Formats: sequence, C-alpha cells, structure tokens
Amino acid sequence: MTDISPTSAEAPKRPQAHGSLLTATPLMKRRNAAETRFHAYGIAAIVVALLTLAIMLFTIIRDGHSAFYQATMTFPVTIDAAVVDKTGTRDVAEMTKVTTIGYARILGESLVKHLADEGLVVEGMTDKEITDMISKDAPARLRDRVLADTSLVGQTVTVDVFTGGRVDGYFKGRVTREIAERDSNVTVTQLDMADLMEEAGILSSQFNWSFITAPDASDLRPEAAGLGVALLGTLYMMLLTFIFTLPIGVAASIYLEEFAPKNRLTDLIEVNISNLAAVPSIVYGILGLAIFINFAGLPSSAPLVGALVLTLMTLPTIIIATRAAIRAVPPSIRDAALGVGASKMQTVVHHVLPLAAPGILTGTILGLASAAGETGPLLLIGMVAFVTNYPASPLDGGFLDPASALPVQVYSWASRSDPAFIERSSGAIIVLLIFLFFMNALAIVLRRRFERRW
Amino acid sequence: MNDMRIVERDVDITENKITARGVQVYYGTNHALKDVDVDILDKTVTAFIGPSGCGKSTFLRCLNRMNDTVASARVEGEILLEGENIYDPKVDPVQLRAKVGMVFQKPNPFPKSIYDNVAYGPKIHGLTRNKAELDEIVEKSLRRAAIWNEVKDRLDASGTGLSGGQQQRLCIARAVATNPEVLLMDEPCSALDPIATAQVEELIDELRSQYSVVIVTHSMQQAARVSQKTAFFHLGHLVEYGETGQIFTNPQDPRTESYITGRIG
Repeated sequence: MTDISPTSAEAPKRPQAHGSLLTATPLMKRRNAAETRFHAYGIAAIVVALLTLAIMLFTIIRDGHSAFYQATMTFPVTIDAAVVDKTGTRDVAEMTKVTTIGYARILGESLVKHLADEGLVVEGMTDKEITDMISKDAPARLRDRVLADTSLVGQTVTVDVFTGGRVDGYFKGRVTREIAERDSNVTVTQLDMADLMEEAGILSSQFNWSFITAPDASDLRPEAAGLGVALLGTLYMMLLTFIFTLPIGVAASIYLEEFAPKNRLTDLIEVNISNLAAVPSIVYGILGLAIFINFAGLPSSAPLVGALVLTLMTLPTIIIATRAAIRAVPPSIRDAALGVGASKMQTVVHHVLPLAAPGILTGTILGLASAAGETGPLLLIGMVAFVTNYPASPLDGGFLDPASALPVQVYSWASRSDPAFIERSSGAIIVLLIFLFFMNALAIVLRRRFERRW
Repeated sequence: MNDMRIVERDVDITENKITARGVQVYYGTNHALKDVDVDILDKTVTAFIGPSGCGKSTFLRCLNRMNDTVASARVEGEILLEGENIYDPKVDPVQLRAKVGMVFQKPNPFPKSIYDNVAYGPKIHGLTRNKAELDEIVEKSLRRAAIWNEVKDRLDASGTGLSGGQQQRLCIARAVATNPEVLLMDEPCSALDPIATAQVEELIDELRSQYSVVIVTHSMQQAARVSQKTAFFHLGHLVEYGETGQIFTNPQDPRTESYITGRIG
C-alpha cells in the first residue's frame, strides 16, 4: 500500500469467502426466520394464556356479580303483640315459643296492607300471591330482631326484606314472563306487582352484605344463602394449616438441606417428598378420613381435620420450596460463618434462615393458597355438609365445630337444582379469587420486606 | 516491598505454630493430598503455590477443619497446633476455628452492617461482657485490617455495599476480631483489582507481627512479595518447602523450577 489511495478501478479484488456483510447468506436467513418463528410461538402462547384467563374472569364476573345484589323490599311492619307475645309479659323465653309462622303472617299482612295503602293493585292478584313474594328467610330474620329487642313489640318498624328468589331472578334477567307461566313457584301477576313496587320505590336492588356474612340456606331460599360459614371455615383452616406446615416444613427442609448425611435413606426420603407433591389431593382426603376421623375420632366437618388434611397435602410443596430457598443462599455465607467459628446451628439460624426467609414465606403462602382452593379432600372429611351455624371463636373450641369451606361451597351450590344458585356459585368463586389474591399479595409484600441482597 | 530483595529476606523465627505430619486427604476415592509434612512458623507469612488442583487449598482447609463440611472428605495423618492434634476426636472444630481464622477467595461479608460483621465472631464466642468492650474490639479489628478510617463514619452501613477491596479487608477484620493465632487466606486477592491487591498485601505484611499467616496464591509474584516461607504443591505432593528467597532463586526440585519459570502450571 502506498500513501496514495488507490482508485476504485485499481482496488484489488479481495477474496469473498464470507460474502458481503450487506447481504444475508441463505443460512443466516434461515436462522433469522427460525428465531422470528420462535418469538411468534412465544407470543402466541402468552396470548392464548391471557385470553383464557380473560374469558374465565369475564364469565365468572358476568355470572357472579349479581350475587352481590339482591332485590329488597322496604315497607313498615306492625309487630302485633297479640301474635308474638301472647302472654304480654315481654318474656323472651315465652316469646321464643312463637315460631316463624307467626312472623310470616305479620310480614304478609303488613305488606298487603302497605300495597293497598300505596294503591298498587294488579288485577286478580290474591293476598297469598303478595305474601309469597317475601323471602321464606325474612320471618326468621324479623323474629331474631324482635327477640333481641323486645321493645319493638307493638311498634311499627320499617324492615328491609328480600324478595323470593324468583322475583329477584326477574330483576336479574334470569326469570322471564314466559318462564313464570310454566313455573309453579312464581306467577306472572307477582312479576307485574314487582314492577309496580319498583316504580313506587318499595322494591329496589341493594348491595347484599348477607351474601358474604350469612350462613348457607336451603334449596328453597337461595336469596338467603351466604358465605359466612364457608369464609370462617376457610380462614380457620388456613390459620391452622399455616401453624402446622411452617414449623414442620422449615424444620424438615433445614435438616435435609444442611444436616442430613447424603445416603440411600435421605435419597429415598427426597424422592418420596417429590412424589408426595404429585399425589392426587383426593388421596389425602381418604387418608384424613381414615386416620383423623375414623381412627383418631376427631369430628367430621371440623376445620381442624380439614387443616390436618391440607397440611399433609401442602407439606411436600412447602418443603420443596423451602429447600430451594435454602439452597439459593450462597455457600460463601456459610463458609464465612463457619470460618469465624459459628456452629452449624448458628450458621443456619443467624445467616441461612434470614436470607432464605423471603423464599420460604413465599413458598409457604403460595402452598397455602393452593390449599385454600382445594375441594376434593374436604369433600371426603365432611366439609360439604350443610352448615347453618357459625363455628365458635377459636378460643371456644371453634376449630372442632362443623364448618364449610369456600371451594366446597362453590361445589355444593353449583350442584343444587335452583338456577338462582348458579349466580351464588360464581359469586362465591369471586370471593375465593379475592381471598387468594390477597394471600398472594401478602406473599409479595413479605418477600419485598424481607428481601436482602448479598 | 520490592521483589528484588527477596533473597535478603530472612526468617528469624524458629518457633513452630503448626506441624503437619503425613497428611493424606481423600475426596471419596480421589487421593487429593499425599503425605504432606509441613512446619508452619509463628509470626511468619507462609505461601502455598502450585498449579490449580494441586491440593494447596485443600491443605489450607485442613488447617481449620473446613474440610469437615465436605461430606466425602477424609483426612489422615496429624496436624498439631501448638502440639495439640486438631483432628483429635475431643477437638470441637468450632473452637478450633476461633483460633484459626480464615479469609476466603471471594469477599463474603454477611449481608449485615459493617459493625455486625466484625462483632459477630466475638459475640458468638462470648469474648466480651458489654457493648463498650465489643465496640473496642470492632474498632481494633477494623484498624488492624486498615479499613477503620474508611468506614468509621458508616459502621451501620451494609457490609455488602463496600467495594471489593474494602469487603476483603472487612473480612480480614472479621477474621482477626476473634483474636486468632493463625490466619488462613485462600487466594484473598484473586477477586480484587491491582490497587486493592496492593492494599491487602501490605496488610498481610503488617499482620505478620501478630499472627502466623498462611496464604494460598496463584500469583508467584504475590508469593514472592508477601511471604517468608513458600511451599510448592504439585499433583497432591508437597514438592518443596523452604524460604521464599531460596524457592524462587534456587529451587532444589526440577518441578519447582519448571513451575516458577512458567513451564508447568
């Protein structure tokens, strides 16, 4: 090369073994195409997953949101002392002898009178039809209210009572006039009257707290059914499961990860823990039925038994997650602690556990979340029973009282015949999802709080 | 320090700190260390050099029984620390490690405050009765590790937030806080830049006045710079052990000569 730059004509032709950089070789084109395809597959997979999730959430919310609203009638009721307190002594013990039938008559008569006063008339509607619009649950609620406050006797009070499930279904679009003609539980005249009452402001759709707080109700009273007992039951079970699994899971993991000699026995234990995580949950239900109920004699339907079964089911998952968290602590930290003369135990407690804590907590809470959604094993230990009494507080032995659980409630409502339970079932799923959402949020918060870098 | 003066460097201490006789180490069926005899002197820097996998780190980890944590490791022979066999069944390795401190290849401060890093050892060994004494030990250790001036205003800051060289000196402070007699260093500078390396090397030379320091290094220059005695390991054998000046200028074994001149390794 000289200092004078050669003109293009004189430029020596360089060997073009690799071709020009400006044109892609066929191999390169194929590689790029494969990469583009791979991207597309990945995006497609994510889109499918998100779409499925969106469809699921959409259908659940579409079907379930109406469970949180209930057609409610508001009208004055005169609590006739002659009916509810025959002795006139206001003695609660005496008054409890009056059953809900008496209160149903008071409610019915008051509604008929109120509608007449308001001038709401539907041609050919009998008083019985008007009375039947009131939920079968309303008399019991009125009775409870009067027994709790006897000064109400003889007074005129304004009450909010649910309409029957069919009238409620009419406002939610589930019941139409065509259906009503064929349905023995509701008449077209009742629906006409419901329309009039809504115009008059007697009947309106109100937020239904009792869906969350009330206990379950029978097939005849879907409007009164609530999740109270199931929520409490799930809460009790999660609390107990957490108390049982965390110490057992952490102790087992620490032993296996830090202390156990590596031999055939520990290998066998490890393989079996992994296998147990894959055992169908219903098997744990059978096990729980055999051991805790039939052998140990614990009561069925009890949150304690449910928690024990869920503990058995969740432990393998939690042990696997905890071991992974412990293994993720860099060995250099263990070396450092041992190097300054910490004992094995001090190394674990002072250094390894604090660093593994976020992982352990996350694993535990996610394990609990999956246990919270578990139905199968709970069916076998009787949690599917129809329970209308709240379990007592834990201090009064509430862990042994019969209770239900959210996923089981979903299952039992979904299998009932009245279509009004479909919205309740979906509504219960919404509550369950919110419950799980909060548990997962808690896991994330704990993780953030405890997370330390090294 | 000057590499050129290594010939003149003499060892005036003759008192043995550690005496190893016929040490064999097996990892499972792998015979990693074969028949090693070494006398490590008090208040001296002893360097272990040799190619990777030659057993120098293995031997170092025998000196405070860190090999106990490796399930498959088996140690035979005897290692005496001031006449007491550290592999005696009656010896608790935890107690031993308070006497024989260790600094690792990668700086590994605890993810805690600088203060807690240094105070941890004295705390678990019950060396102090109150906070004032602990404060004193922490300050003394940090001063000894030549890092006090850099961190005295932020003792509550995280130890992991320091630079690599500072972290390693913090680890040295942590190791000296338990007042050990021997300080083992496993390639303490291999993760550090040249400036931090120089600081740590200077520190090692100062530590010699109080401790017997054993350092494993891949860098022959480093061995020449900081040590008074050097041991050359090759394929699990202790090939040659002598004064650093002699090893680097007049090796007796042809394998040592090949290694220090760069022909094997």
